[in-house]
Amino acid sequence: MASIALKSFVGLRQSTPENNSIVLSKPSSAALPHRKFRINASKSSPRVTGRNLRVAVIGGGPAGGAAAETLAKGGIETFLIERKMDNCKPCGGAIPLCMVGEFDLPLDIIDRRVTKMKMISPSNVAVDIGRTLKPHEYIGMVRREVLDAYLRDRASTAGATVINGLFLKMDLPQSKTAPYVLHYSDYNSKTKAAGEKKTLEVDAIIGADGANSRVAKGINAGDYEYAIAFQERIKISDDKMKYYENLAEMYVGDDVSPDFYGWVFPKCDHVAVGTGTVTHKGDIKKFQTATRLRARDKIEGGKIIRVEAHPIPEHPRPKRVLDRVALVGDAAGYVTKCSGEGIYFAAKSGRMCAEALVEGSENGKRMVDESDLRVYLEKWDKTYWPTYKVLDILQKVFYRSNPAREAFVEMCADEYVQKMTFDSYLYKRVVPGNPLDDLKLAVNTIGSLVRANALRKEMEKLSV
Amino acid sequence: MSMAIFSPKLPALSPPPAAAKTHLSSCNNKPYLSLRPVTVNNNNNNNNKKLQFQLLATAADNNNNGSSSGVAAAATTVEEEESAGSNGSPPPVAFGEKVADAVVVSSSSSFEDARWVAGTWDLKQFSKDGNTDWDALIDAEVKRRKWMEQNPQSSSNEEPIVFDTSIIPWWAWMKRFHLPEAELLNGRAAMIGFFMAYFVDSLTGVGLVDQMGNFFCKTLLFVAVAGVLLIRKNEDLETIKKLLEETTFYDKQWQATWQDDTKNKV
Repeated sequence: MASIALKSFVGLRQSTPENNSIVLSKPSSAALPHRKFRINASKSSPRVTGRNLRVAVIGGGPAGGAAAETLAKGGIETFLIERKMDNCKPCGGAIPLCMVGEFDLPLDIIDRRVTKMKMISPSNVAVDIGRTLKPHEYIGMVRREVLDAYLRDRASTAGATVINGLFLKMDLPQSKTAPYVLHYSDYNSKTKAAGEKKTLEVDAIIGADGANSRVAKGINAGDYEYAIAFQERIKISDDKMKYYENLAEMYVGDDVSPDFYGWVFPKCDHVAVGTGTVTHKGDIKKFQTATRLRARDKIEGGKIIRVEAHPIPEHPRPKRVLDRVALVGDAAGYVTKCSGEGIYFAAKSGRMCAEALVEGSENGKRMVDESDLRVYLEKWDKTYWPTYKVLDILQKVFYRSNPAREAFVEMCADEYVQKMTFDSYLYKRVVPGNPLDDLKLAVNTIGSLVRANALRKEMEKLSV
Repeated sequence: MSMAIFSPKLPALSPPPAAAKTHLSSCNNKPYLSLRPVTVNNNNNNNNKKLQFQLLATAADNNNNGSSSGVAAAATTVEEEESAGSNGSPPPVAFGEKVADAVVVSSSSSFEDARWVAGTWDLKQFSKDGNTDWDALIDAEVKRRKWMEQNPQSSSNEEPIVFDTSIIPWWAWMKRFHLPEAELLNGRAAMIGFFMAYFVDSLTGVGLVDQMGNFFCKTLLFVAVAGVLLIRKNEDLETIKKLLEETTFYDKQWQATWQDDTKNKV
């Protein structure tokens, strides 16, 4: 799902990264004595004799695939456990431009390049954004089964053992060097659908098994709030499909979702129409009907070919690392607010965690411990905290109420906003813009919000 | 004769029918709304509901006639006596809504207004004495948004809506929204200021000019001004407290993994 990261607040909050690094180090200095939070590789750990470090990656989505590839390339004995190799995941399927470069994705994986977006306010004011995009910039729409399979195959080529199986549970080790014992059902063998129960001993585990992560349950990582995203795939006629050739739409309004947005995203040969919510999950069907109504003229006569729903985490789990188990991707809760973007962050966190493991184990020669995995956490939090925080602020300010959404759509018409939004989305950089422009933007934002709220107060007086 | 029928029943349900009667005699749409609370207590089955509906319909036709309004009240009271168990609200509600709809655009396919042209407001139609009547434009947009909120419409490519509220000049917004509230807040501040100054003077003997030189008094002044600005309704206190918590909640969720507790290391 595409993000509209308005930059109005970055200029005003330039001190945030420093503040946050200060805050982050505070708990570590106040840590209890028997908990080693000092971040350095465990050079004092014993060498692993006779073999390389064994790491299991549970879950073969973008996070798992990226992690497994990096681990295998780093000389670690890697096992990737995935339960459904051709899983057609219900997903928006939008990836930013930087992901193509960073993960060396072949261009034929991308079904469509979205270069225009339309934002539609509660009173149907429609604003086109994308004028500021350069010719080579786009938002890539992919089919998850294609992307996931590609990343898994690459991991396999790099040396990872891909196991088609369902992770059941894990036995925690008794000592710092004892292995974890994984219990899983292996579907590779010739026995029928139930699969053969097997165990696997590994030294570290990366939990990349998504929103309902069993690894997270195994380490008591805690729960998070989640949104329900509901999506219908609709096949529409070719001339109607032409309109969505490289355009995605975002509908905001209380009718469509009280705290999220409704969308129409083009897929390979059909469109995905959906919506989501955190607070009113029971009304999701109502919101979906409203979304279809708002898009009715453009999807009229279409046939629903598939209905799907999935949970989207709203914030990270209370615990993301425990001993030699780390969570990445949706399992950790790395989905941004406001836009609900998760694919890039899943893949990137998988890679970052694997890099930390490779480094901490000196390419598989030494045993790792929790401090090595915390290296990954620290790097992740430092790199992406500004992005997450900015999107959280945007969601809190602009998804609050109908007037806020009207102001949001009005602001999107501004060119500076569009440029900032796409820059930060496509390259995942929170770039402080020109301060004068930022100030003008802040004034305009406040103006829009004030106007929209003033109109709403009049609307309340008018109640029929 | 109808009077004779319902008069013995009246005492049993005196407040609602009495209220209904007075409302009905004032002949506006409200009667149907005020009858609703009465019918909600009803526990009718479907047959009784239909009966109510028809009787209300006849009452509508004879809006100005006091006696037939009495009939409507009688009908509902009769229903109430007979009733057993269900909710009687749907028919009156449906009827009420139909009346309301007749006022607004019915069988709506899009927002219709003579001054709404090509997806925006035609400023030329809002002219008053050669200038644009911004207040009327604001009123029109408010009505449109209200209507859209109650009747969500399909967004169309052929008739895109391109209205932007920033075409209304800042002074129009100020005159209409800011100035009345500013007057209110300044009034509050003045009242608080006068009585605080008097109170402090009577307690300490320090006059107004000397009070301004004192640091503690200046702090009190600052607190009073901030309070008047931030706390405008009773609910604002709660809102401000929640806002403070809200700004830091996400940060806390992210740092949860760095807060450790002893019970993990069992």
